[in-house]
Amino acid sequence: MQTTAWLVLLLPLLGAVVLGLGFRALPGKLAGIIGTAAIGGAFVCTVLTLLRLQDLPAEERHVTYIAWDYANTVGVDAQLSILIDPLSLFMMLVVTGVSTLIHLYALSYMASDRGYVRFFAYLNFFVFSMLILVMAGNFLLLIVGWAFVGAASYLLISFWYRRTSATSAGIKAFVINVVGDIGLVLGTYFIFKGTQTLDFQGSFAAVGEAFPKGDGDLTAGCLLLLVGAFAKSAQIPFHTWLPDAMEGPTPVSALIHAATMVTAGVYLIARMHPLFERAPAAADVGAVVGLVTLLVAGTIGLVVTDLKRVIAYSTMSQIGYMIMGVSSGAYVAGLFHLMTHAFFKALLFMAAGSVIAAMAGEQNLDRMGGFRKAMPFTFGCFVIGGLALAGIPPFSGFFSKDEILLVLGEQGGWKWILYVGGYVGAFLTAVYTWRMIFRAFFGEAVPEARELEQGHLHHAEEHRNPASGEIEDTDVGFPGPEHHIAERSLPMKVAMGVLAFLAIFGGVVAIPKVTDTLDSFLEPTFADSTIKVQPSDSLLVFGLVLGAVAGLAGIALAYRLWVQQPGSAARIQQRFAPLHGLFSHLWYFNEIIDRAIVRPFAFFGRFAQQTFERLFINDTLVGGPSGMVRAGSAAVRAVQSGFLRSYAALLLAGVAGMALYFLLQA
Amino acid sequence: VTIHLSIPLWLPAIFGVVALLVPGRLARFAGLVGSAMALAYAVALVADFDTTKSGLQYVTDRSWISELGIHYKLGVDGLNLFLIVLTSLLFSACTLWAGQERREREGLFFFHMGLAHTAVLGALMAQDLALFVAFFDLMLIPFFFLTGQYGGPERVRAVTKLVIYTLVGSLLMLTAAIATAVLAKQGSDGGGLTFVISELQKRPLSSGSQHWIVGFFAAAFLVKMPAFPLHGWMPDGYRAMPLPVLAVFSGVLSKVAAYGFLRVVLPIFPEGAVFWQTPLLLIGLASILYGSAMAFTTTDARLILGYSSVAQLGFIVLGIFSIQEEGAQGALLQSFNHGLVVAPAFFVVGLLAARARGSQDIRDMGGIAFRAPVLAALFLIVALATLAMPGSANFTAEFLILLGVFQSKVVIAIVAFTGVAMASVYMLRAFIRTMHNRQGEGTVSRDLRLGDALVLVPLVALILAFALYPQLALKRSERGAVRSIEAAKAITEPEVPAPAAAQAPAQAPAPVSGQEAPVPSETQVPVPQEAPAP
Repeated sequence: MQTTAWLVLLLPLLGAVVLGLGFRALPGKLAGIIGTAAIGGAFVCTVLTLLRLQDLPAEERHVTYIAWDYANTVGVDAQLSILIDPLSLFMMLVVTGVSTLIHLYALSYMASDRGYVRFFAYLNFFVFSMLILVMAGNFLLLIVGWAFVGAASYLLISFWYRRTSATSAGIKAFVINVVGDIGLVLGTYFIFKGTQTLDFQGSFAAVGEAFPKGDGDLTAGCLLLLVGAFAKSAQIPFHTWLPDAMEGPTPVSALIHAATMVTAGVYLIARMHPLFERAPAAADVGAVVGLVTLLVAGTIGLVVTDLKRVIAYSTMSQIGYMIMGVSSGAYVAGLFHLMTHAFFKALLFMAAGSVIAAMAGEQNLDRMGGFRKAMPFTFGCFVIGGLALAGIPPFSGFFSKDEILLVLGEQGGWKWILYVGGYVGAFLTAVYTWRMIFRAFFGEAVPEARELEQGHLHHAEEHRNPASGEIEDTDVGFPGPEHHIAERSLPMKVAMGVLAFLAIFGGVVAIPKVTDTLDSFLEPTFADSTIKVQPSDSLLVFGLVLGAVAGLAGIALAYRLWVQQPGSAARIQQRFAPLHGLFSHLWYFNEIIDRAIVRPFAFFGRFAQQTFERLFINDTLVGGPSGMVRAGSAAVRAVQSGFLRSYAALLLAGVAGMALYFLLQA
Repeated sequence: VTIHLSIPLWLPAIFGVVALLVPGRLARFAGLVGSAMALAYAVALVADFDTTKSGLQYVTDRSWISELGIHYKLGVDGLNLFLIVLTSLLFSACTLWAGQERREREGLFFFHMGLAHTAVLGALMAQDLALFVAFFDLMLIPFFFLTGQYGGPERVRAVTKLVIYTLVGSLLMLTAAIATAVLAKQGSDGGGLTFVISELQKRPLSSGSQHWIVGFFAAAFLVKMPAFPLHGWMPDGYRAMPLPVLAVFSGVLSKVAAYGFLRVVLPIFPEGAVFWQTPLLLIGLASILYGSAMAFTTTDARLILGYSSVAQLGFIVLGIFSIQEEGAQGALLQSFNHGLVVAPAFFVVGLLAARARGSQDIRDMGGIAFRAPVLAALFLIVALATLAMPGSANFTAEFLILLGVFQSKVVIAIVAFTGVAMASVYMLRAFIRTMHNRQGEGTVSRDLRLGDALVLVPLVALILAFALYPQLALKRSERGAVRSIEAAKAITEPEVPAPAAAQAPAQAPAPVSGQEAPVPSETQVPVPQEAPAP
């Protein structure tokens, strides 16, 4: 088990290194095949590790392996250690599984990009980082994985680095993620202060004695961990980087900004549940922020016209459910939703990528329409993903979302607000998801769709950046002469087909009252949880029905607005202009952050640069003494002396004077 | 095998003299041999170093000026071991680099490089206060000539500023050193005058004298680092120095100043150090914030690195004056790491300037990653290490530093974290503006040449190696760091009388039975967090 566990980490790293070093030598598709094989191998090793772990008795299913001392000094016990338990294995399965499929998709989707090898090197490095994050056995290594995925995300967002829109989106994502890292580090300090160990299992064992329940330090620590979680999982107010991150190639959006990295915050809270359960105030903050994000992102999703950004806001919103769940003790349900979301959201992104390829890089929904006949396979996948996202039975999203809300509802009290908000969010989800589908695939066919129906694809003479309008620099390969759509590519079809299957049937691992595979698998990790909820049957049935109704109603509304009466959306928009303004300005988060943080810092920098350094440092501090010395050295020059000699003379005189003084004293 | 420290200490200077004597191209060769041999010795030291011993190793101790009690005493312990390695490494790399450029009076250039190498090693190895001061001042002289004769157009102005600043610092330090020996003699009963550091440690000065003496030392060290607001010489100095000289200057000399705090100030003047703790922490903090703010507004590539060094040195000051073991360990590791990243960063700046018609302004650069992927990748690694991305040894060091500060002054630690965020802004800004975006007008994209790779690749490989295994340095510096701050920490955190608590805190007996282990937040007492089960 030890060997296979380490191999899970090593294979993607090896893939990244081989691709990174051999970028000149590797011909054509070989790089993609190496990259995909490395991740596929990691998936196989994960499965082997899983089988071995299941052989152990339930209470022993947590093993820490130590490679070497990393920074083990003066009481800080940081080691290169991995923790294998059901939770980390669950995450490893999701990460390696979905990654393999997305690599397969990218194999063909990125085929005409000149950065092909670089792309796969980055992608492998990302998977390696994500695996460090979920396998880390101590806080320090967790932070390392946390930052590495941030760096990989930066590299991939800025993949087409000649676009200034891509590089500025990259730096934005990186800096916000660094803020998250800082939260994580500071949180670790607070916890370390009490437990005196960085090791997860040691910390969790010591937390009971180190902190009384509701302790101030622990609450502060958990709140800071939440900052890390929010930044990585794009929760309010640290979410503004995620929509911009859609500058990256679509497989990146599917892998990093939907299925894996952005769910790290959910994993973090689930992993730290022994801490959060002793700091209920912090956990409640997490739950509330989850709800707020869920609703805010849902409303923005209703008005955004960029296809990928709609899905990005949807991702934020869905992660809001998960954060809400794991912050309220619904660990298994939250992770279940994480898994099903990974399936259907990756599928939606892949399908969107196919449409965008057909549109020659154009992502604006206003320009799309009528792709239903031109791209039947993509359409099918989009519909499956959309049904799962909207929570329509029996698709996977139906079960996972309702399970989270069920636990919330059963806890009662103020958590009813979360329960109700969750169903409101479900309705919004259905509306914006199907708005997207109806607008892209229904209605009158756009020229691109018509040409596609006739068997050829429209290529623009010169590519323009849809975001800024500048002409693309094709040096960096964007976007290549051919556009790769699912209908014409087997690897893309396979990847999307498997995900579509999982999006439909992924729910079977935890159908209420029928199967409990997932619960019993994760049971050993959460056995120590003090939050045990036994849902009543009536609430269960009520929730399932309510969820299905909310989803169907949302789809019906979307159908009415965008298919039956195409003009009505514009009329509603006019009637509620202020509200639409709020939503379409993304609730003004970018502006607020700009005013509150970016500008003060920029002002401080300019003040230091233009005023303080010049006037104070150079004039006062340097001007004074150097003026004095200049006067002095003018005197020395009178005695015929070069500069060095004056220095030496001054030094000698000083030495002699001091020495004389003190020796006389002695 | 016995290792005599005098050999690696004087080798570079001797080969420097050889470089003066041999003609033309042989001079660079002589310079390289001298620094490379010192490097080989330093590596042997690391391999041979005994981590179980606390205290100095490889001691050379001769009476030098017996009338004044000055000894020629050299020694190595955890504090200086890796700084010695860093010094020889960077001098070797920069000599190799400088040897690839043509310049006039080549022999003189390499003589000064060799002399500087010896002076820095001397300051690091010296275990006698007078010897330390002598080497510390000697360091400046070769750099004065290297800048004044081989530097950029503004070199006269730069050298003037540099000399005035450091002259004031040096004089203050000299005064302080002499005062220390004399006052210590007065305090001891009938002992002679001595400058040997270990002897001075045994003769504590009155707290009043410690206060002003530490002030004087601190002024000298802070100027050398440089720290805010004493960095006025830095912008001109950094712009004027030839790049290979600047790389060692920035990589090594600032570290000697930081090292001075740990070698001289904290052990000999614990009370003075504690007295100055808060002001120095604030200076460190101000350096971080101010340096970062300057680094993200300036467009001169050299100054971005210069101000980032001000910020990084601010972190090192924070670590030292947290007066915690973690802080001291982090500061030592960061000193090594910062040298290891800043030298290749300056090298990259040189390569970038060569591709932007000699301009070092990042507004004239851009977009060369496509045709120079290797250079871009190496620069990316260096940039990420500089901004202390978790996973780099720089992060490990910052983690320890801020953990130390967190334990002594929480608020300062929290504010200092803004510096971490700003570092990511200015380093990525520099990376993107030079490598990504549209190609700058007039830039030429070409990748590394073999000669460039010979300098750059080993340094980057070392950055990666230490990222994987910082324990190599931490294990060796541990005892030195703990001993250095021991005396000062005993003042800030008076221990509950518990026998052998300093040696083995984990096995110390539990406090008074029946009482909950009290862990007050401000003054943390090293009490075991849980009583061992019987």
